[in-house]
Amino acid sequence: MLETRNLDKSFGAIHVTRDVSLKLERGERRVILGPNGAGKTTLFNQLTGEIAPSSGRIILDGADVTALPVAQRARAGLSRSYQKNTLFDGLSVADNLGLAAMVAQGRGMGLGRDGLLHPEVRETVEEVAAQLRLSDHLDARVSEISYGMRRQLEVGVALATRPKVILMDEPTSGVGPEMAKGFHDLLAALPRDLTLLIIEHDIDLAFAVADTITVLNYGEVVFDGLPEAARGSSLLKEIYLGSWEDA
Amino acid sequence: MFRHTPLRVAALALLAVAGIGYAFGASYFGLEILTEIAILAILVLALDMVAGFGGMVSLAHGALAGVGAYGYAMLQAQAGVAPPIALLGAIGLTGALAWAIGAVCARSHGIYFIMATLAFGQMAYSYIFETPVFGGDDGLGGISRLDLSVLGLDLMDSRNFALFCLAMVALAYAACAFVLRSGLGRSLSGVHESEQRMRALGLTVWRVKAHVFGLSGMIAGLSGALAAQHIMYVSPGLLSWTVSGEALVVVILGGLGTLVGPLVGAAFFVVLKHEVGAITPYWHLVTGLVLIAVVMSRANGIFGALEAWVGRRRAARQPQPLAKEVPGNA
Ligand SMILES: Nc1ncnc2c1ncn2[C@@H]1O[C@H](COP(=O)(O)OP(=O)(O)OP(=O)(O)O)[C@@H](O)[C@H]1O
Ligand SMILES: [Mg+2]
Repeated sequence: MLETRNLDKSFGAIHVTRDVSLKLERGERRVILGPNGAGKTTLFNQLTGEIAPSSGRIILDGADVTALPVAQRARAGLSRSYQKNTLFDGLSVADNLGLAAMVAQGRGMGLGRDGLLHPEVRETVEEVAAQLRLSDHLDARVSEISYGMRRQLEVGVALATRPKVILMDEPTSGVGPEMAKGFHDLLAALPRDLTLLIIEHDIDLAFAVADTITVLNYGEVVFDGLPEAARGSSLLKEIYLGSWEDA
Repeated sequence: MFRHTPLRVAALALLAVAGIGYAFGASYFGLEILTEIAILAILVLALDMVAGFGGMVSLAHGALAGVGAYGYAMLQAQAGVAPPIALLGAIGLTGALAWAIGAVCARSHGIYFIMATLAFGQMAYSYIFETPVFGGDDGLGGISRLDLSVLGLDLMDSRNFALFCLAMVALAYAACAFVLRSGLGRSLSGVHESEQRMRALGLTVWRVKAHVFGLSGMIAGLSGALAAQHIMYVSPGLLSWTVSGEALVVVILGGLGTLVGPLVGAAFFVVLKHEVGAITPYWHLVTGLVLIAVVMSRANGIFGALEAWVGRRRAARQPQPLAKEVPGNA
């Protein structure tokens, strides 16, 4: 479903992605682990097209998308959420979800009726809001909901495009442990045919949701395999040091 | 995000009644002022659409209106095209030019966008000024107004022409509201909030900007074509960047991103210009002071302040106010 082949990225002398080759099957749920600065977000940015790789290829659903601009990859079924909330802050929760659904449904350029009032758009808004337990807050502005809810909305906006593949960059960052756990339960309840690639700092949460695990360190894939195998990895222990002992 | 609130609808109704009522009661001088307000109102509606809802602060809109004026003059007075066709031609020409400007400027933001639009505006100004066929500094005369005698209206009559311009304001407003509520307009609001996110959702951002800029240009072109018919004469001064600056002042005075506010701003600005201008040549000082007061008050212009005040009153009346009812800009 999503594949990278020998992906490489340097910013001048800094080598942030080193020969990364990954392969996600349809419906696979893969978690990316790695310390701060390992190049996880930079990898996402290359997958979506927000940053061009120095070399290597990206294949989405059988098609080489390496040269495609961001919007076209999104239209091909790739969606993402950001580590730092990238919401429409002045708008309501419903409008945030509605814009995503409207654009994804190809109604973002039309001159006809109100783009947000289309029944199909509204239906998606309600569905995604229900999926993420945001239904009671649809009319609230982003600035009026809690930080934890904003993190959920961040993922909700990505989900509202009804993607084939969704990339989530630390969806629970900055959220308390209880809410993070609840959030992961919501993620676990997502349709099984949706391919998930999640960057997660919390190892327990990672193991709870992951079918497969990739560990990045200094831009390099240092582990790629099943969670059980990851548990035994001495490398992972080394990288995570303290937090691994707690886990 | 553009929405009609009861307050906005009420304000529109009030403006319509006041405009039409005044048109029937006013003297020749009053009708000239009303027509001036209407023509400026159309221009600032066009500007608010891009600046208020898309964050595209344009200093090309004065020049675009000027292109509409010259387009009408050239087609109607020079080429002898029938006035309605000349009017549509002028609107189409301005829209096409604006689309191209929007497409080129779409990738720049903030101060760079402003400067790029200013540069385009200045290019249009010097092109018209320097090209002999446009009459240079002397401009072009011999322009006729639309012939609406089939409707029993003689537009050479000031009252009829003022009413016609008011109808055009209503048409321009309806067009802006229609665009802003469409998928394209909603996308524009999303782009204004987060261009990065809209792109990641699959939107080709530059196209949205170019399309809306083009549509806004058509409305600016209408304003210019009406100005040409009003004075029945065009000169390069119409394309001066100060016209764009003044339009921006009017939008900010009235309330950026409210669509209704700029209408209020246009009336306020023109009346102030004539009333204070009659007393003292320093009327610009007064406008400047008002603008500073509005900006310093941190209200979103005159209409924004009114919306905030109504919002506060409603909040005070209800013990548990619905937070979503608090109006902000758009
Ligand atoms: N545009 C850029 N120019 C130069 N260096 C960059 C750029 N973007 C990222 N980097 C560097 O690349 C490295 C990887 O950054 P990245 O944000 O991908 O890490 P990360 O794994 O997501 O970390 P975190 O867990 O803190 O989010 C860092 O050293 C960062 O400073
Ligand atoms: Mg990161």
